[in-house]
Amino acid sequence: MKEIKFLLKYFKNSKLNVALSFICAFIFVPANLFALFFSGKAVDTFSLYLDNSITQIEFLHSLNLYIVLMSVCILLTVIFQYIFESFVNIFIEKIVTNIRNDIYIKLNKVSIKLIDTHLHGDILSRCANDIDNISTGLISGYKQLYQGFITVLFTIIFMFVQNWLLGIVVLLLTPSSVFIAYLVTKYGNKYFKRQAKKVGDLSSITLEEFNNLDIIKSFNYEDESFNKFKNANDELYKDGQKAQFVSSFVNPTTRLITNSTYAIVGMVGALLVVFGNNLYIGIDLTVGGVLTFLQYTNQFSKPINEVSGCVTEIQTGLTSLKRVKEVFEYLDDIDEGKEELDKEFKYLEFKDVKFSYDENKIIFNDLSFKINKGMKVALVGPTGCGKTTIINLILRFYDPLSGSIYMNEQNILDVPKKELRDFFTMVLQDTWIFNGTVLENITYSKPEATMDEVITATKKAKCYDFIKRLPKGFDTFINEDIGLSVGEKQLICLARVMLKDSKFLILDEATSNVDTRTEVLIGKAMDELMKNKTSLVIAHRLSTIKSSDLILVINNGKIVEKGTHDELLKLNGFYNKLYFSQYQ
Amino acid sequence: MEKAFSSLKYFKKQLILGPLFKVIEVVFELLTPFLMKYIVNDGITNALNGNGVGKIVFPALIILGFCIFGLCSTLVCQYLASIASQGYGTILRNKIFKKVNELSMSDIEKFGRGNLINLVNNDTSRLQNAVAVLIRLVIRAPVLVIGSLICSFIIDVKIGFIFLAIIPIVSLILALITYINGKQYLKVQEKVDEISTYTNDGISGTRVIRAFSKENENIKNYEARTKEYFDETKKANLISALINPLTFLVVNIAIILVIYFGGDFVLKGDLTDGDLVALISYLNQILMALIVVSNLVIIFAKAFSSSKRVNYLFSYEPSVVNAPIINDKNIKIGEELFSFKGVSFKYVDGENEVISNINFNINKGEFVGIIGGTGAGKTTLIKLMERFFDPTKGVITFKGDNIKKYDLKDIRNDISLVNQRNILFNGTIKSNLLMAKKDATDEEIINSLRLAEAYSFIKDYEDGINHPVYEGGKNFSGGQKQRISLARSVLKNSELLILDDSTSALDYLTDKKVRDNILHIKDITVVIISQRATSLMHCDKIIVMDDGKIDSIGRHEDLLKTSDIYKEIYYSQTHNNE
Repeated sequence: MKEIKFLLKYFKNSKLNVALSFICAFIFVPANLFALFFSGKAVDTFSLYLDNSITQIEFLHSLNLYIVLMSVCILLTVIFQYIFESFVNIFIEKIVTNIRNDIYIKLNKVSIKLIDTHLHGDILSRCANDIDNISTGLISGYKQLYQGFITVLFTIIFMFVQNWLLGIVVLLLTPSSVFIAYLVTKYGNKYFKRQAKKVGDLSSITLEEFNNLDIIKSFNYEDESFNKFKNANDELYKDGQKAQFVSSFVNPTTRLITNSTYAIVGMVGALLVVFGNNLYIGIDLTVGGVLTFLQYTNQFSKPINEVSGCVTEIQTGLTSLKRVKEVFEYLDDIDEGKEELDKEFKYLEFKDVKFSYDENKIIFNDLSFKINKGMKVALVGPTGCGKTTIINLILRFYDPLSGSIYMNEQNILDVPKKELRDFFTMVLQDTWIFNGTVLENITYSKPEATMDEVITATKKAKCYDFIKRLPKGFDTFINEDIGLSVGEKQLICLARVMLKDSKFLILDEATSNVDTRTEVLIGKAMDELMKNKTSLVIAHRLSTIKSSDLILVINNGKIVEKGTHDELLKLNGFYNKLYFSQYQ
Repeated sequence: MEKAFSSLKYFKKQLILGPLFKVIEVVFELLTPFLMKYIVNDGITNALNGNGVGKIVFPALIILGFCIFGLCSTLVCQYLASIASQGYGTILRNKIFKKVNELSMSDIEKFGRGNLINLVNNDTSRLQNAVAVLIRLVIRAPVLVIGSLICSFIIDVKIGFIFLAIIPIVSLILALITYINGKQYLKVQEKVDEISTYTNDGISGTRVIRAFSKENENIKNYEARTKEYFDETKKANLISALINPLTFLVVNIAIILVIYFGGDFVLKGDLTDGDLVALISYLNQILMALIVVSNLVIIFAKAFSSSKRVNYLFSYEPSVVNAPIINDKNIKIGEELFSFKGVSFKYVDGENEVISNINFNINKGEFVGIIGGTGAGKTTLIKLMERFFDPTKGVITFKGDNIKKYDLKDIRNDISLVNQRNILFNGTIKSNLLMAKKDATDEEIINSLRLAEAYSFIKDYEDGINHPVYEGGKNFSGGQKQRISLARSVLKNSELLILDDSTSALDYLTDKKVRDNILHIKDITVVIISQRATSLMHCDKIIVMDDGKIDSIGRHEDLLKTSDIYKEIYYSQTHNNE
């Protein structure tokens, strides 16, 4: 029910739309019923005329009247039903689009930790498949319930006005179909949940296997991988088949009830025609009356049948709604900083920083160091010592457990994240190329860059030559998987950073996948870029390390040594060992 | 040849029996108005004449019986449909998965991984859905329409013609709307694809987006895409909303005509008012059946486009064909293991050759290094050795015979590759290593982890080698992943070990240790691709690649004299180049 509440929020701003669709439904549903009513009346006139109850003139007069009235009702139905249908579709799509946008906005706000700890495939399927399911479920649900409610309401009124006894017959029989639908839905829910889970399992296996087919092939692992898939697939079949069969119970069983109602109404109606005026009930029913009544019964059962027909969609929609709502419950990234960042950068300082991603494994205990303006600082240390974590902390993707990081005298917690991140420029270990042209990828950091600037930057980042060789040059479409080698992607990311003019550069092994020849050239360009700038580089490359003003050697969560290359070699300590290992 | 719908052949029984049971229900539905007519005409007259109510009650009971039998036969149909459609989907998914496994790596790049994943997930479920609907609902509409038509002719031939006239009109309306909307629907689908691509980029690039403070722009771009999607669906909705009102209009015009002309016949005594009742309810039945069909149209449009995609995959000839004619053999140390003779390779739709005219050989027991710039074609050499694709020109021999003569499985068994991407699979460290050797003991596993310098951090876990590995190994650092995947390849214990830049994330010290450990494996042949000249210094042979060609081949000392490229690489890494 919480889900429904969540959904209602979105309807709040569409009160006008809800009202308008209500008005349309309020016109076309009764118009439809009146059309039936008049067709019954028209048929009645024949019997009356044949019984000699009315004259020929009266007969022709009333027949024409009913046909005209019927036509008017039909026209009203056609027009307002069209408005209703298109209107509801569009306004629900609008609401779904709002949810779609909101979930994306939310994803841009949640803490990085949530993105890091959730399966990307799962997040993606919540944004795409689940939203689609909501849209399908909501459109059919809203339309059918709305239309159904008004139809049922008017039909009941019509029936009772015409004949209360028949009205009672219909009214008594129909709730049982609702009850059956409820039972089946409840029973089937179990299978639906299981099915949804199995679908998820299967798609993560597919994702993993297809993304790594080269590895599968090189280990001759195709058969095992297929068996893994086949097992998950067989599991899905078991629950899928049950879910489908169980949910297909609803519609036929409600139809059974409504069809039986039809038969019973016909029988009771016919009996009333014969005995109605003899009984003390005093009901006078004509053949035409029975006909109209039978049609009302159909009209009454139609929405019930239709709602039960889209039970699967509504059920799937609700399951998806739950999954989408969960995303909205993710914790937002906290950005409590209010102070303006002091633009006159003097130093960056880590003071007794303690940090861990989870309680079990402390990454840093009392990490302290200081980077002054204009310095070129290299972070060195064995694999997994937490070098990348330092970037996560500086850019506030994560915050320290205790201790503080200062920019000048300001604690970075007091500065808005946007300002802080604007100040730094970073290149991450993992490249990020999005679907778009080479040019779009490069100008990401500076959309207003001129072509000249782009060419200069790409030349500096040594990717101009290979970009020129691409089929469409700068306009070549690229993404993470197609068109570029790992090294080329690195170069594009470097060019992206070249464009952004900033005072502090952070590089995380930015050149580790670029071959050393190119690295030398980039190194030179980098030197130029770093001129008059402060920089923090995490690298294994000797040339970068050697040219640094300060090397921070990290081991076991602490700075174990610091100084220039020569100073550290003389220390004959950890750095020395690390350095000489390559010549042994 | 395999087609999307070929797998339906396993469900012939269900496909025939299912609709047949459905027809039983429809026939009952068609007979109901007849019985109702009987109640209203004969039943009432009979009762009014004092002949009892049997002709009212008895037909009503028959209708009730029909309802129950109808339910039973529908449920049988639904059951058959669930078996057939879910079973069909399961078989189809297996077949697609198998087919994808047969594709060569260049084929897979051509298809695109996202596309292949969609084939297994979305396309199959659409097709499966269409099969279910086919069995359950499709037969209903034509039988109902034709049945009503026949009944109307039975009641009155002239009125029957009114029925005959509206059916083509309504069909035409439905066909037209389907045709127009089918096209519009394709546009909507394109927008859906765009949105999911953009979302995917947004999730994987979260860090970069935030580092550049691009959240707002990112959201704006996303909203622009959802707006485009909304606009396209709006068009589709405006058209599809016509279906219900228009069919309603046509059928109701028919009702007026039936009343008007039928009334005439009633007055002449050719028709009873009960007949009129029956005719009108047949028309209403046709209307409902048609509305159901119109709602199904979109399901079939989707399934049709999916079947095309699936058929394309099935009809695709893999570019690497496995047709083994010789068995794997044993060779001695020093004998030729691999030989490249004038080998060139170009992607199918690529313009330039990735590598051209490559000649070299690798003998058993050798340590061979490959070095060269980004995009020089080093990894392509490895992929050719694994036969992930075949050369466009030249010949590769393996143990003296053309590589194509061997079973793919034998070749890949003899090669153990440590991939650049060092991918781990969801499971445990142990399950990842067992990929290489199904029956490996814990001891063997630990030994290979030791060799790859991975055991030092694994032994700290409480659960040791049973420590969980998350999707893509994201609970490990780059260096840890590299060492585990290295251990996995070592455990495979193949004749040839290929390290494709697989120590790049390790520090020099660990890198050195790992290389030393590998040196001590008995009888092993090793190919090391590296960016670090120092990692290759001790190789028996170093192949220097440049721009898709071999620049030179030789030992470290020789290359320092003969190769400018090698010299440059080496000195840039070992000396301060300023």
